[in-house]
Amino acid sequence: MNNSSIIAIAAALAIAISTLGPSIAQGMTAKSAMESIARQPDSAKDIRSSLIISLALMEALTIYGLLIAFMLISKI
Amino acid sequence: MGEKSEVVIKLFGFLDVTGEVITMWIILAVIAAISLVVKLSLKERPGKFQNMIETGVEYLDNFFADNLGRKKSRKYFTFLASLFVFIIFSNYSGLIPGVGLTDYVKAPTASLSVTLALGVITFLFLQISGFRHNKKHYFKRFVMPIAFMLPLLILDEFIKPASLALRLYGNIFGEEMVTEELYHVFPIGAPVVMMVLSILFCALQAIVFTMLVSIYLEEVTED
Repeated sequence: MNNSSIIAIAAALAIAISTLGPSIAQGMTAKSAMESIARQPDSAKDIRSSLIISLALMEALTIYGLLIAFMLISKI
Repeated sequence: MGEKSEVVIKLFGFLDVTGEVITMWIILAVIAAISLVVKLSLKERPGKFQNMIETGVEYLDNFFADNLGRKKSRKYFTFLASLFVFIIFSNYSGLIPGVGLTDYVKAPTASLSVTLALGVITFLFLQISGFRHNKKHYFKRFVMPIAFMLPLLILDEFIKPASLALRLYGNIFGEEMVTEELYHVFPIGAPVVMMVLSILFCALQAIVFTMLVSIYLEEVTED
């Protein structure tokens, strides 16, 4: 294996692994938000805004991985 | 970040103008034109166009009031709303066909320089408005519950704008890259899938950015 193939594998791993954790967390967040909306439809508005914020904060972790992957790809 | 900006015009011989700057000029002209048209044709009974703009402003007003309270949101409305309008216009500018293919027009928020500039502006805004709101509280906030958290809290002030900038840049840049890759795979039809998703994500990123800024603002200006 030469250098650029190792970098390609590293870039793939960077985005793949950094997707795993946040996706599980986002699923759990969405699940509990849906449950609370079903239980209390009146408070759907408040729940929705905090849901979006927490999803965005988790999304940021994946984005960091994506940035690293792009940086690695530009080095091939 | 390994990002190179292509200088397309040398203004007056020393000002480097890149494609992002040109797109920002266009966006500014469009926003200014819309504002002027609405301002000059304000009526007691709004027409279709004025009604649309009023609905947008009202939505933003309620949106910030949810986080900040009506009084504070009115006070800082100009900054927060212009941030929102600028970000959403620049995000959507990447969806116009042809933008990003040449060096002359590029989506501004897909460049780290632009989003970092937004982060620096936000940082200054938060510090200055927190200091002007309540000088005693501004310093007390760092040491009040426990003093040994001071270094972490100071670090936090710098991490907030940096993470805002990186999130916006990563999302928009990632979208553009994925759309471009899909275009290379299959030019007709394939990019549409990502572009439809982008319509949702672009609005979401603008909402998230301003929402986080207003939450940080609530933190520094609480009584």
